[in-house]
Amino acid sequence: MRGNSLLALNAGESGTVFGIVGNQLAAKRLADMGFVRGARLEMVRPGAPCIVRIDGACVGLGAGHQASIALS
Amino acid sequence: MTGYRDTRLANHAATTDGTLASPMSTTPSPDVLNPPKTVALVGNPNTGKTTLFNALTGFRQRVGNYPGITVERKTGAIRHELGETQLQAIDLPGAYSLNAQSADEAVVLEVLSGHDPSSPTPDLLVSVVDATNLARNLFFTSQLLELGMPAVVALNMVDAAEAKGLTIDAEALALALGVPVVPVVASKGIGVDSLKKAVIDALAAPVTAQCPSFPACVCSELDGLCESVGHADGECPTAGAPSERAALLQTLLDPGGHHEEQLIKRCGVRLADELAQRRQRIADSGESIVEVEAKIRYAWIERVVGDVVKRVRPPRKPRTEKVDSVLTHPIYGFVALIVVMTVCFQAVYTWAGPLMEAIDGVFSQVGAWLTAVLPAGPIQSLIVNGAVAGVGAVLVFLPQILILFLFIAILEDCGYMARAAFLLDRTMSKLGLNGKSFIPLLSSFACAVPGILAARTIEDRRSRFVTIMIAPLMSCSARLPVYTLLIAAFIPAKPLLGGFIGLQAAVMLGLYALGAIVAVVVALILQRTVLQGAAPPFLLELPSYNLPTPATVLYRVYEQGREFCISAGTVIFGVSIVVWALGYYPHPTSIAADHEAQRIAARQSAPSPEFLDMRLTEIDRSEAGNYLRHSLLGRMGRWIEPVVEPLGWDWRIGTAAIASFPAREVVIATMGTIYNLGDDQDENSIGIRAKLHSASWPDGRPIFNTAVALSIMVFFALCCQCGATLATIKRETNSWRWPLFTFAYMTALAYVGALVTYQVASRLI
Ligand SMILES: Nc1nc2c(ncn2[C@@H]2O[C@H](COP(=O)(O)OP(=O)(O)OP(=O)(O)O)[C@@H](O)[C@H]2O)c(=O)[nH]1
Ligand SMILES: [Mg+2]
Repeated sequence: MRGNSLLALNAGESGTVFGIVGNQLAAKRLADMGFVRGARLEMVRPGAPCIVRIDGACVGLGAGHQASIALS
Repeated sequence: MTGYRDTRLANHAATTDGTLASPMSTTPSPDVLNPPKTVALVGNPNTGKTTLFNALTGFRQRVGNYPGITVERKTGAIRHELGETQLQAIDLPGAYSLNAQSADEAVVLEVLSGHDPSSPTPDLLVSVVDATNLARNLFFTSQLLELGMPAVVALNMVDAAEAKGLTIDAEALALALGVPVVPVVASKGIGVDSLKKAVIDALAAPVTAQCPSFPACVCSELDGLCESVGHADGECPTAGAPSERAALLQTLLDPGGHHEEQLIKRCGVRLADELAQRRQRIADSGESIVEVEAKIRYAWIERVVGDVVKRVRPPRKPRTEKVDSVLTHPIYGFVALIVVMTVCFQAVYTWAGPLMEAIDGVFSQVGAWLTAVLPAGPIQSLIVNGAVAGVGAVLVFLPQILILFLFIAILEDCGYMARAAFLLDRTMSKLGLNGKSFIPLLSSFACAVPGILAARTIEDRRSRFVTIMIAPLMSCSARLPVYTLLIAAFIPAKPLLGGFIGLQAAVMLGLYALGAIVAVVVALILQRTVLQGAAPPFLLELPSYNLPTPATVLYRVYEQGREFCISAGTVIFGVSIVVWALGYYPHPTSIAADHEAQRIAARQSAPSPEFLDMRLTEIDRSEAGNYLRHSLLGRMGRWIEPVVEPLGWDWRIGTAAIASFPAREVVIATMGTIYNLGDDQDENSIGIRAKLHSASWPDGRPIFNTAVALSIMVFFALCCQCGATLATIKRETNSWRWPLFTFAYMTALAYVGALVTYQVASRLI
C-alpha cells in the first residue's frame, strides 16, 4: 500500500504515516509536529485544507502538506 | 525567510512596555550583588504560557484560545515569598520546534540563545506543556532540555486532561525526563506556588536532563560541524556551548531553513558546501535528513509517555468534534461565519443606540450649562465648542467600541478563530495569502497595529507582507464613529429582508465589506506584481472549544474601553483644542461691528416681532459663519476646497479629513468643533447630528445629503489615516518602502473611491 498520500483518505478513515516525501521547506516542520513514520492519523474532514486528528489534536493541513505525507 | 531579522527591532519596542518591575529599581544595591534570575516560559502555541505568566506575575497580558496570540516577548517580576532570590519571567510566543519557521518563533530563538541584546539571557526554562497533548508537546521539550539550561516542566491543563479521561503521573514523568515536573492549572492558579518552589530549587541545584541519543552518523557529522564552526569563529562566546550545538543540529537537519541562513551569514558560503557534504553522508547511511530528528525524538517520547499517561476512561466523541462538524463544513461553515459576522454588526449597531443617546444627552446638558454659567468670549467658546463638543462627539461611540470588542473577545476565547482561518484558507490562498492571514486581518477590524504584529505567525515572508499591506484596509474601530454618525443622520432606518437586518446596519456591513473587497483586489495585484510567488500550504492546529472565561473577555473589553477613553481625553482633546483655536482666531472686531450695525437696522425696520426674531437669528448665523471663514482654518479650507469639491465636500469636511491624517479618530471631534463654531444658532445643543443637518452651502443648499455622507464614509473606509499603523509597518518590514507604499496606494484609492461614490450616488439618489 506504499505511495498513498493523505489526499486518499476519506472522512472517518484512519491511516499510518510512512514518511514525508517531497523536498519542500516545511517538510521538517511536519515531521517535528508529529507526522513521523508510525503515527496514526484520522481524517476528520477531507478537502483542501483538511482536518486530521493526530494524537488527540486536530490539525488543519493545506493540500501541499497533504500530498507530502505518505501513508503506509 | 528574510523576515526574521526584522523582529529584533520589534523586540526593542517590547522592552519599553514598562513591564520590567519597578520595585527592583527602587532598591538598586541588592540588584548589583544579586541580579534577578530570568525564567523563560517556552512551549507550543496555545499551551497556556501567557496564562501562567499572568498567574506568576499578576499581570494581565492577553490570552486567548488560538495558536499565536502572543507574538512579542514580555517581561515581569515573579511575586513569591520563598527567600531572597529575585525572579523575573519572560513570556514568549509559542513554537513547535527550535527550527524557526516564522517571525514569532524566531523571537523565541533569539531570546533562548542570548542573541537578543535587549533581553536578559534566561537562567532557567519553564517548558509549558499541554497535558491533553503530551506526546506532541514533549518534542519541543526534549529539544529544550538539550540546551543545557536548568529546566522545569509545567504540566498545564491537567483539568482538561482529566475531563478527557487522562491521568498523568507527574512523578514518573519527572523521573523519565530527569527534570522536575509540576502539574498546574494555570487558568485557576492551581499549582503555581509549587511551580515557583520548583523553579527556585532548580536554580539552586541544577540537574541533568535525560535526552534521546541520535544515530552515530548524525552525531559524528554534528561533531564535525561544531568543530569547523568553532574554527571559523573562535572568538564567539557561545561557541561550543550546548545551545550552540543544538542550533547546529537544526542547521544540519533543516536544509534551507532559518539556522542555515544564519550560519552562512556568519561564517560564509564555504560552509554551504560542507553542509551539503555532511547531509549527503547522513543520507547515504540511510537516514532521512528532515525526518531523522522527529523519528528519534518521537521514539524516545513513546517510551517516556508509555508508562506515564493512563487512560482511565475510553474517549468519547468530544464536544469539539460535534460542533466542528457544522462550523468547519464547507457550506454550513460559511453560512455560520456570515451569520456570526452579521449578528455582530447588528448588535454593535442596535444595542449601542440607547446608550449612545444617553451619553450624547449628558454632553449636551453639560455644554448648555457651561454656556449659561460662563461669560461669553474666547474661554466659553474654548470650553463649550472646543473641549466639550470635541470630546463629547467622540465619547458617544464608547458603547459601540465595547460591544465590538465583546464579540471579538468571545470569538477569540471560545476557539472559533482558528476555524474561521481554516474555512477561509482556500479563498485566501488564491489571493497569495494564507488561512493564517485571517487572524491578523480580523484583529485589524479592531485596530491595524496588533493586526500587523499578529502577521508574525505567517511562515512565508511574501504572504506575511501582503497581509501587512492590506491590513489597514480592514475597517478598524476608529472608523466606526464616522460610519455611525453619518449613517444615523443620513441613511433612513428601513427594515430589509423581512426585518432580519435594517438598512442602516446593511450600509454599515457594506462599508466593512468594501474594505475587505478592496483588500482582496489589492492582494491579487500585489501577488502578481511586487510580491510574486506561490502560496505556501496551510498548517494550523485547531484548539478544542472552550466556554469563554468571563474574566478574560471582560478584561479585554475593559482594556479597550480604557484605551479609547484615554485617547479621547488626550489626543482627541488636544486636536480639538488646536482646531478650535485655528477656527476661532483671529476673530476680528470689524465683523462684530458690522453685524451689530445690521442688528440695529433690523430692529428699526422690523414689521413684526416674529420677523425680527427670524432676522436676528439670520444675522447671528452669518456673524458666526463670517468669523469662521476669516479664521486661519477657514483660509486653509478655502485653499483645499477645489480639491475636495468633486467629492461633494465643503471646505469644512476637507479640513476635518486632513486634520485626521495622523489619527483618524479625531475627525468627529474636529467636525464637532468646526460646525459648532460656525453655527451659533443653537448654542445649547452640541448634538453634532443636528449640526450636520443644518450645515449649508453659501447659497443655502444643505451640504450633507446621502451622496455626501457615502462619499465621506468611503473615503474613511479606504484611507490610511493612522500614523501608528505606518510606524508599525516600518518596524515589522524593517524598511520605509512599505509604509510609504501603503500610504500612497491607500490615499489614492480613497480619493478615487470617494469621487466615484459621490458622482454616481448624487445622480442616482
Ligand atoms: N482548561 C484549561 N485551560 C487553560 C489553562 N491554562 C490556559 N488555558 C486556556 O488555554 C488558552 C490558551 O492560553 P494562553 O495563555 O493564551 O496560551 P499561550 O501558550 O500563551 O498561547 P500563544 O501565545 O498563542 O502561544 C486560553 O483559552 C486559556 O484560557 C488550564 O490550566 N486549563
Ligand atoms: Mg501567549
